[in-house]
Amino acid sequence: MSKLILTAAIRGAHAIVDRVEGKINAMTEKYGADKEVVLPNTAYYLPVIYGMVGMKVENLGDMQPVLEKCRELLPELPAEAAWLPYLGPGLDAGMATAFAFEMEEALKYIEGEECPYLPSKEDPEDTDADIWLGAADDIILRKRGVEFVDGSAPGFAAVVGAAKDVETAVKIAKELQEKSIYVFMGGHNPNTGVSFAEQLKEGGVQLGWNTRLVSFGKPTSAAVHALGFATRAALTFGGKEAGDFEGILKYSKDRVFAFVLALDEVDDEKYAAAAGCINWGYPTIADTDIPEVLPTGICTYEHVVSNIPQEEIVAKAIEVRGLKITIAKIDIPMSYGPAFEGERIKKDAMHVELGGPKSFGFEFAYSKPLDEVEDGKFTVVGPNIKDVEEGGLLPIGIWIELAGRKFQEDFEPILERQCHHLLNGAEGILHIGQRDIVWMRISKKAVEAGFTFEHFGTILHAKMHNEFGAIVDKVQVTIFTDDELVKEHLAIARKTWVDRDNRLADMNDETTETYYSCSLCQSFAPTHVCVVTPERPGLCGAYNWLDCRASYEINEHGPNQPIAKGDVTDERLGKWKGVDEFVMPASGNAFESFAAYSILVDPMTSCGCFEAIAACLFAANGIMVVDRDYAGDTPCGMAFSTLAGSVGGGLQTPGFVGISKFFIGSKKFISAEGGIKRLCWLPKALKEASKEMIDARAEEIGIPNLYDMIATEENGTDEETIMAFLTEVGHPCLEMDSLMEMM
Amino acid sequence: MAFSALTEKYSGKMGTLTIGSGDQAVTVGGQATMPFATFDGELPNKPLIAMEVYDVVDPEWPAAVVDPFKDVINDPIAWAKKNISEYGAKAICLQLASTDPNGENKDAAYAADLVGKMLAAIDVPLLVWGSGNVEKDAEVLAKVCEVNEGKNLLVGPAVEENYKKIAAACLGYGHAVVSQSPIDVNMAKQMNILISNLGLPMEKIIMEPSTGALGYGVEYSYSVMERISLAALAQNDDKMQAPIINDLGKECWKAREVKLTEEEEPSFGPDMEKRGVLWEATTGIDMLLSGSNLLIMRNPKAVKLVEECIDELMA
Repeated sequence: MSKLILTAAIRGAHAIVDRVEGKINAMTEKYGADKEVVLPNTAYYLPVIYGMVGMKVENLGDMQPVLEKCRELLPELPAEAAWLPYLGPGLDAGMATAFAFEMEEALKYIEGEECPYLPSKEDPEDTDADIWLGAADDIILRKRGVEFVDGSAPGFAAVVGAAKDVETAVKIAKELQEKSIYVFMGGHNPNTGVSFAEQLKEGGVQLGWNTRLVSFGKPTSAAVHALGFATRAALTFGGKEAGDFEGILKYSKDRVFAFVLALDEVDDEKYAAAAGCINWGYPTIADTDIPEVLPTGICTYEHVVSNIPQEEIVAKAIEVRGLKITIAKIDIPMSYGPAFEGERIKKDAMHVELGGPKSFGFEFAYSKPLDEVEDGKFTVVGPNIKDVEEGGLLPIGIWIELAGRKFQEDFEPILERQCHHLLNGAEGILHIGQRDIVWMRISKKAVEAGFTFEHFGTILHAKMHNEFGAIVDKVQVTIFTDDELVKEHLAIARKTWVDRDNRLADMNDETTETYYSCSLCQSFAPTHVCVVTPERPGLCGAYNWLDCRASYEINEHGPNQPIAKGDVTDERLGKWKGVDEFVMPASGNAFESFAAYSILVDPMTSCGCFEAIAACLFAANGIMVVDRDYAGDTPCGMAFSTLAGSVGGGLQTPGFVGISKFFIGSKKFISAEGGIKRLCWLPKALKEASKEMIDARAEEIGIPNLYDMIATEENGTDEETIMAFLTEVGHPCLEMDSLMEMM
Repeated sequence: MAFSALTEKYSGKMGTLTIGSGDQAVTVGGQATMPFATFDGELPNKPLIAMEVYDVVDPEWPAAVVDPFKDVINDPIAWAKKNISEYGAKAICLQLASTDPNGENKDAAYAADLVGKMLAAIDVPLLVWGSGNVEKDAEVLAKVCEVNEGKNLLVGPAVEENYKKIAAACLGYGHAVVSQSPIDVNMAKQMNILISNLGLPMEKIIMEPSTGALGYGVEYSYSVMERISLAALAQNDDKMQAPIINDLGKECWKAREVKLTEEEEPSFGPDMEKRGVLWEATTGIDMLLSGSNLLIMRNPKAVKLVEECIDELMA
């Protein structure tokens, strides 16, 4: 922790504890130690103190041991010469501050004293003389706490101080309200005496729990009710026990997405309070130029971030706290839903065509640092929809800039690929293709309803936040429709695509420590598990290693789980200790071991979704592959459908294995038995579609004419006939080690 | 040599669920064996049947499920009382059909109030079931939980799209939740994980793996439930160790075979009541044999048949 802040916080904490001690002693003198002290209608005594140290404060006398606890916690002021920044003492000072503040607040409720707070009320009314609500009772806690659990309220902002003017205060409050974040207000500007809550009232904004603008109290001490709320939430909803400070603080950090907005001057008291909040995992974002505490540790990300203009402070706070925003309704003039995904837009219903065969179009998503992306900014460069006549044609470039704390470069293509499905969900938009073969049509009806190109941004922004919120924090979209600009940006995109393709091509199983499982198909093949490695995609062809990793990042309880591969137990077969340990329980104890590269020894199970099946042809000493689209007979004596029946269902079937078509081009394709060199039969259509892959591998293994030696149904559909062909062309499989003996 | 029977020992045990509060609380689940295999392991709690009452009845209902309740069919509270006093119901399931936005669209406040009145009128545990409309159920059931705090109702169904609101309300106000999934073992487990991640403990969750009536997918329900049971018992998978409930009354009584008259299908014969009762009872027994702990049923005769069967199997 910055020494400056640390010193100020400790100094502040000392002053606060001194002051509160004085007040407690004065009250005790006046009323006696037995005088009852209670916050309104709560079963949690003074909740912060009760939660943290399990002490039940019921009367003035009970406050003395808490004061002692505060003194224990209070560190000495660091000596001038000490230069080591250290978070611990600051946190302790913050905790002492929270205890002292809570007692100070509780004293206000003593019977006989004038209470500055409205008694147990949800909202201040116009007829009320004041706006301060004080501590929430348990009924409010339960009702509002449920919203924190179910996610309808993502968190709260504790606003201390005041905005620079009424207008800005209203703007900040609105911005927080729009994101369903509660605003808890305590403290004021010590120089002007103005508070944020009073500014809102002046701006004509309704305060209270129902508008989520909760005016706790005017002094900084009132902000402790926010911590009281969070602590009680952990006790009530988290099932934590009083005194289990570790559990409560962790719950608060992980479940209650709160942060402190320190507006205007931060004095020692506020430093002390901010230090208190860090204990709960709540960072402070300030608009003034105070020292920052950036290294992460207690909070999810930074602890204190300063010098953020009030206009940008909400966006920054959300970023620092790692708050995830969901967008309930996509703000476009047309309907949106899966029902429109298959919608066709015929020529006469079309207003404009974008990209496609008569023009050119592309979409491109890439990531940038967080501070270089402005979330929710949509720009159109070039003609917009109003500038094109009915039946018109434009080039299109959809340029998506993404940023996220957990975002990785490898997720870029995955999100980019979503454009198709996301944009097609809108009524009146037809989208075909990806990368640089994008072709779109916009219907006349959509244009009449008020569609403009900015709405592409609206859709992508909303859906990416909602569906990929775990990895995406910011989405900015630019639409290019100007000929030159589309071309210029397309060139940049193309360069990146080449890099991306190479990157995945460069990955290999040896240098990757974590593989992923896929158990999506266990619903119908209960014992089936796919183990997806960089060089072995899932057998359905839909999930490669990157997809599985992204899927895990997005939903850590989903069907794709990381597998630490552990030590290699058999390099040739593709067996790892970690994989086997994972497979056993994941297959319901059905299988002890998986070999990723073998068709004969412990081959991977097959569900039913395989794109193709590889099968041994023992007479030819080779391997055939047949895909789903080929309905005819094959040399192994079974057509695809019959083969599928015997191979699928979550079984290990030595001699057969379900694969993705792409796997044929992998170095690891049945490499235990000799790999592509064994490939001796393919359906003609599959062979032609795989030519490039086969040629590339053939080149690598030094048999450049391998492609021509692979038989198809034209050469025969029984082993005897193709044997004649293979012998004639001299297929290398004939000379290889006997498959029979490898079993 | 004396004969000694081989027994199957399981490493895991199904969790329990308690519904209702005070003296009337009832516990289900907790078995350490496959259904009724009492020779293999402990089966501490009998499966329970909750008799359902509706706050609005579809005019299409066959006579066999209208006649037994003719005098009370427009008054769910009187209906529940009749189920208890005349037909011996050990639990009641209030089906809030009237809250369906495609029907009467009654609001959450009405539902919460009706549940309160029902609680005051009956002395057996109460289940509260939404209309099945995902968004409306979230609103209605959350309100039901809030207004009837601490009564330990069993509310549901909570599905992937609305579980947060419903389960959070259960957590906040002391109720148990039905975690429903579409005939899929993985989804069933995922729902349990999602709900328990909100903070609701496993002993407050019961699974509804989607129930298919006899002739309408009963075999799918059977397979899924059997697999859930095996995962819970043999694999000791703690996220699968929630008891199972089946909402089968409404599935059975909309079956074509139950509704057709003799004129429409002569081969079915004239006795529509017997046909319906057997349809529901057979479905119920099927569910019990696949691992169910709690059944929601409609016809009193069918309930009686299934209860007799339970007693025989437990004997």
